[in-house]
Amino acid sequence: MNPTDRTRRVKDILWALAFPGAVAMVFRFAFGLGATTNLTDGVPWGLWKIFNMVAGAALATSGFTVGFLGHVLHLKRFRPLVKPAIVVAFLGYGSSLFALLFDIGLPWRFWHPFVYWNHHSFLFEVFWCVSFYFLITFLELSPTLLERLGLEKLRGTLHKAGGVFVIIGITLSSLHHTSLGSLFLVTPQRLHELWFSPIVSLLFIVSAIGGGMMVLLLAKVLYARWYDPDKLFYPRTASGELCETCVNPDENGKGLPEPPHRPQIRALATASAMVLGVYFLLKLGDLLLRPDAWSALLAGTWESWLYGVELLLGVALPVVLVSIKRVRYSTGGLTTAAVFAAGGLALNRMNVGIFGYFRGAEEVYFPSGLEWAITVGVLAMAGLAWFFLVENFTVFDERWKVRASASPRLLSSFDRLTYLWNHRLLNGMERITLIGLVVVPVAWILLYSPYYRDKGEEVFPPLARDVERDTLLLDGNRFNMATTFAHAAHQQRLGGRESCSECHHLTLPADQATPCNQCHTRMEGRTAIFDHARHAEHVARDKRLTGLVPANLSCTECHGEDAAKARSTAKGCLKCHEEDMHPVDPPAARLALEQASGYRSAMHGTCIPCHKQKAVEVDNPHLGDCATCHPGRTAPGEDLVRAVVVNSEDLAAVH
Amino acid sequence: MSVGLLVDVTRCTGCERCVDACVQQNRLDPAKADQDRATLPDGLSANRLTTVQPLGSDHFAKKACMHCLEPSCVSACLVGGLTKRSDGAVVYDPDKCIGCRYCMLACPFEIPRYQWDRTVPFMAKCELCEEKTAEGGEPACVEACEEGVLKWGQRDDLLAEARRRLQNYPNLYVQRIWGEHEFGGTSVLYISDVDLEELGWPASETESIPHMTEPVLMATPAIGGSVLAGVAGVNWIIRRRMKLRGEESHAEGGEQ
Repeated sequence: MNPTDRTRRVKDILWALAFPGAVAMVFRFAFGLGATTNLTDGVPWGLWKIFNMVAGAALATSGFTVGFLGHVLHLKRFRPLVKPAIVVAFLGYGSSLFALLFDIGLPWRFWHPFVYWNHHSFLFEVFWCVSFYFLITFLELSPTLLERLGLEKLRGTLHKAGGVFVIIGITLSSLHHTSLGSLFLVTPQRLHELWFSPIVSLLFIVSAIGGGMMVLLLAKVLYARWYDPDKLFYPRTASGELCETCVNPDENGKGLPEPPHRPQIRALATASAMVLGVYFLLKLGDLLLRPDAWSALLAGTWESWLYGVELLLGVALPVVLVSIKRVRYSTGGLTTAAVFAAGGLALNRMNVGIFGYFRGAEEVYFPSGLEWAITVGVLAMAGLAWFFLVENFTVFDERWKVRASASPRLLSSFDRLTYLWNHRLLNGMERITLIGLVVVPVAWILLYSPYYRDKGEEVFPPLARDVERDTLLLDGNRFNMATTFAHAAHQQRLGGRESCSECHHLTLPADQATPCNQCHTRMEGRTAIFDHARHAEHVARDKRLTGLVPANLSCTECHGEDAAKARSTAKGCLKCHEEDMHPVDPPAARLALEQASGYRSAMHGTCIPCHKQKAVEVDNPHLGDCATCHPGRTAPGEDLVRAVVVNSEDLAAVH
Repeated sequence: MSVGLLVDVTRCTGCERCVDACVQQNRLDPAKADQDRATLPDGLSANRLTTVQPLGSDHFAKKACMHCLEPSCVSACLVGGLTKRSDGAVVYDPDKCIGCRYCMLACPFEIPRYQWDRTVPFMAKCELCEEKTAEGGEPACVEACEEGVLKWGQRDDLLAEARRRLQNYPNLYVQRIWGEHEFGGTSVLYISDVDLEELGWPASETESIPHMTEPVLMATPAIGGSVLAGVAGVNWIIRRRMKLRGEESHAEGGEQ
């Protein structure tokens, strides 16, 4: 297989992930944050901010660490890795900032922090350092881009300034990576104590330095896998078979057969493992010196398991792996260590930024489909951009020069978009169109549904304790503010099965057992229940009116002949419905029939007047008190009997 | 001088007239406020800037912005959209806000709420009814309360009043004024006959959050400066050594 075949499938998958992302971005701007995300007031920061931005920046640190090793310490082994590292940093920060545009509520004001300053804010510092560092990565990348464009003079100037850019980049990075950790210092009482550490800033920068180099290692391995396997996997003979005997001894002359670029990634992994080792010790010290964290870890909650996974699989395991010689001399082994280290780093940021807040917020946040779509879509777009950069510029090697001489156009090999222009209907473009045609509508349908999520208040019928409706638990909104109602006993006292209309007002025609919540759909507010259209049609049918639209002729049946057609001029409901409706409270029936009161006032309105009346009849003055239904106590020094809020779970335990 | 609000939990019957008045004063949607009362865990939202929270068996406490003396949200907002006004109220400038929601994370009392239901959303919180207090009036919630739960005045006077009540009814009240020292002190003070921990507020901390974070923040220029100087120095030394050893600098020559 040639490199084009190997990468084509990967790119197709990336396109298929990028399309839903684009659809989700449209939804995000059309409907707003609340409709598209599962964020709440309890968990206001979610996937986009924590995964894309905080974790994304941490994973892209190789740009400054490898720059430091290669250009400041002048370690020759890291030199060839500096350009790939800059590309990783540019794409990592670029995609993070891009995703952030969807996360902030008013994205068109992203420039405000440049104008309105609050230098007391960690976020202010993060914003300035990250945006200027992104600019620096672009300047560091620009000589590579200019080389292809042939602007040699400008390239030379920028290249000469490269050392200054590296040093500024290192400074900005060390500032914003510590500040990204400090962001969480403001939440001592909300963040889980396992992750709320006074040295969180230090932990953030050390782990980011360690994990970031492993991400660069992965990029190098993937590039070699797809374009240049001989460099990292065993060289092949002319006939294409593995050449076990091609010995490239390592520097110490150990004589192990080595592909030529493996020392590069081994150096990366070793440097990373040393930093991660320091990080592991810092983490352990932090854990042991804070008794609350230590006890939280031993508590065995799911948080302590997450912490264990993060620390053991994400930090300790890669360090141990790299310290084993057989792993260090195996591309697969180094890749495995890198995957665990990068995953552990991302998990740590998710723990600090998302999972650690669940306990404090007393709710669990799971990102919506749209949030996932944008997160994955942005990463897929960054992946496609990576392919574009490594294929067309001197990043890992100068392979592009071969293609450029064959086809001088800059975008000639960038994916199928330009393929189509150059080679009409080549199957690459057909495929990408097909991906778009299939994925975009599917994504549209799948992602649209969250917008319909019913966040409205719902009132439920009473919970019956048994089929005989002996005792009912009245807890309309399932809010644990409930009272028990001895339904059977009330029915018996009021006269048995014939007495329903004593309490149930039966306002709907031919009403038998309509649940209260059919009309009293809201706990506090009124609900309009008068169906004008249905009445007009019914009258027209009843009076056998004729015409194009018979219902239009029925106005005068309820509204007066000359008066304006308004609610105030209509005749009352009971004028027609005397027979089939039995409102409890006839004088106020007019409004009551047009609007259902809130569930709570409906219940109170049914019980309290009757109780007050019976209190006089049976000479029991406390019958009308709140405490009769809501068991309460008398407050010290006061006569007021207060209503008590009964927890429905307690009630369940009693019965 | 700093204004404040004294909340006497022993007097609250949980009628929520203060909430209705707040909704009306701030021109919020009553239907949405009703809905949020029923659906949200604490009844506080961008449509409902104050709420009355049931405490255990039969006590209630009004909950809204505490107007801290050293507010965490003010120090957290990166564009300075939140400020502590000279009279003590913590106020929000929607024209500066970019919608990052860091204030929501920073507030120890979880007060700032977001207009999640809008396409162009802003943060919302109690601002102590500037319209009314500027003319010498009282906030809407204070006016609406018929049980005498809320008392409006200068914070110092309110502290004295709270102490007087604790002294006069030592058997009734828990001998503590919530908000006197919590998180550096708040403009809204609570006295109660039950433990207010049930409000879910972290009341054990006496240091304000800006006070805790400021030293870390102040270290920033030092970190930046020393990193810059250190890296530049190391670079200079190594390059000089390479030059002396006769190796031409790689940085000038190229990467390969």
